[in-house]
Amino acid sequence: MFWTDLRRSGVLPGLAMLVAVVALNVWLQPHFFGRPSLESNIATFTPTILVCIAQAIIVLNRQLDLSLGAGVSLLNCALASLPTDIVGGAWTTIVVTLLLALALGAVNGILVAFLGLPSLIATFATGAIWFGLALGLMPQPGGAVDPGLGDLYGADWFGLPVPLLIVCVVMAGCILLGRHRFGRWLVAVGSNPASAFQAGVPVRAATFGAYVVAWLLVFLSALSISAQTLSGDARLGQTYTLTSVAAVVIGGISLAGGRGSPWGALLGALVLGIIANVIYFAGIPSIWQEFFKGLVVMAALGFMVFGQLRRRMA
Amino acid sequence: MSGSRRVLLLLGLSLALLILGQIVLPGFLSPTQIANQLKIAAFLGLFALCQTLAMTAGGQGLDLSVGAVATLGGVLSAALLPSLGTLAAGCCAVSAGLLVGMLNGAGIAVLDVPPLVATLALASVINGGLIVGVSVFAPPNAAGPAVAAIGGNATYGVPNIVLVWFAVTAVALWLLLRSAWGRRLAATGSSATVALLSGSNTVVVRTAAYTLSGGLAAFTGFLLTGYVGQAFLGLGNAYVLTSIVAAAIGGVALEGGRASYLGVACAAIMMTVLVSLLTAINIGESGRQIIFGLTLLGFLVVDRFGRPTS
Repeated sequence: MFWTDLRRSGVLPGLAMLVAVVALNVWLQPHFFGRPSLESNIATFTPTILVCIAQAIIVLNRQLDLSLGAGVSLLNCALASLPTDIVGGAWTTIVVTLLLALALGAVNGILVAFLGLPSLIATFATGAIWFGLALGLMPQPGGAVDPGLGDLYGADWFGLPVPLLIVCVVMAGCILLGRHRFGRWLVAVGSNPASAFQAGVPVRAATFGAYVVAWLLVFLSALSISAQTLSGDARLGQTYTLTSVAAVVIGGISLAGGRGSPWGALLGALVLGIIANVIYFAGIPSIWQEFFKGLVVMAALGFMVFGQLRRRMA
Repeated sequence: MSGSRRVLLLLGLSLALLILGQIVLPGFLSPTQIANQLKIAAFLGLFALCQTLAMTAGGQGLDLSVGAVATLGGVLSAALLPSLGTLAAGCCAVSAGLLVGMLNGAGIAVLDVPPLVATLALASVINGGLIVGVSVFAPPNAAGPAVAAIGGNATYGVPNIVLVWFAVTAVALWLLLRSAWGRRLAATGSSATVALLSGSNTVVVRTAAYTLSGGLAAFTGFLLTGYVGQAFLGLGNAYVLTSIVAAAIGGVALEGGRASYLGVACAAIMMTVLVSLLTAINIGESGRQIIFGLTLLGFLVVDRFGRPTS
């Protein structure tokens, strides 16, 4: 029963890959499972994980968002450049950034859901705009994020590191979402928009909602990365967009929508993060690193594709 | 928006931008300036043709590997130039591009990998491989005199690269709109199932589109070394995203299906003029990105609501 569910969910290849890269990492770095190593890893991975889950929510809805990375940069620059001496101090800055994140998500949502633009190219365009805005706020890396945010991110609550708690809360939210009507709508639209419409699902509202929820996670991601860097950089999030797409694919979420779960994106993000660890600890000469990263991502994709081909033939 | 109206709109916009440029900055409309702009537009236009081929093939088609393949073509041809001569080196570069394109096409058409993911993965491997190759072998990177003549010089005031671009445009227009293969490609793009049932081998057609795109990207990279004088890592990177924008503005639909390259060529000219105008009036990277994004969005909206609803 459990086994069949797991196979159907499409996360098995990702899970196998995770076990493999963790084994490799433990071999290269014997104290991988020590608390300091785990804590630093989860702190590093959390921003990526959050963006990957955001992308997963949008992909489940059969859309794509190529502006996530630029969005993280823009929110990071906003956090670092907003004056902190306004009423309410750092909290006001955070609330303003949250509102900005929701506005960015709403813009993407309106363009895709209500104007019916193709998401790939429309979010590519908004990505350029977000990047331009981020550069306008912060032409050179710099600025300062309230150090209190960094302390909070590095703290332990109930004996657990805060980044881990953030991921747990987000995953719990995903589980709730999956049981809620809205979550069902979201996947129904992704699986077949026409049928969903016939069944009375508010298709446009579901897609719009997917973007807004996803950008809530992008906000959390920007908050987490800013808590680590404590400064602003308009190019900070550039790699996130494509990492998130790769993670979604590794996690067994179909880019054709409707199939997969946010757990897959979590797996994909962990696999990609740990691969970077492995490449670092293996002492591979720096000129070879890019090549290896490319090969590993390609191998992961090949793995996924053959899994899908087998499933289709079975 | 129909094809000819789009061409007129884009040419009108380019003209308006040129006149605006002349008002703000006298000398903007001089023949040498215009020749320069056409030179830059030619490279963008050639890369945008790669995207046109990939996008026409449908299935959210894109070729994100054009930058990496162009760099590969440039580096490879410059490395082989001293020993093989210009023609053979160029042929090697193009063959390498065709090979990469075929791999892309096989992954996309046979294995059903989304184009975004397939071309990106291959691009990262090529870029990584080039870093290794260049640091280990340190190959010669200077562009030969013949390549420099094509990429940099002019005949009777018309830059040679623009003549090359015109020739390629003529072939592309015939290939995409008139040839049997072009019709099969457009049919595959609009509906792969229908095309398959009507007797097109959609797998071969789509693979061929990506193969051509790869070969053309490598060829353009080879010529690009002539324009900038040498091959270097990251030679083609700047063209990846701009070529997609040019194709989208030029009227190629991401859903695939019939598209004319003429609109794309005009879009390449319009974008080049826009960028040089923005640079001339000291609008920085930030403003350029925003205006780029807004222009693309504007065209998407016009396309969405200007199209007759069926």
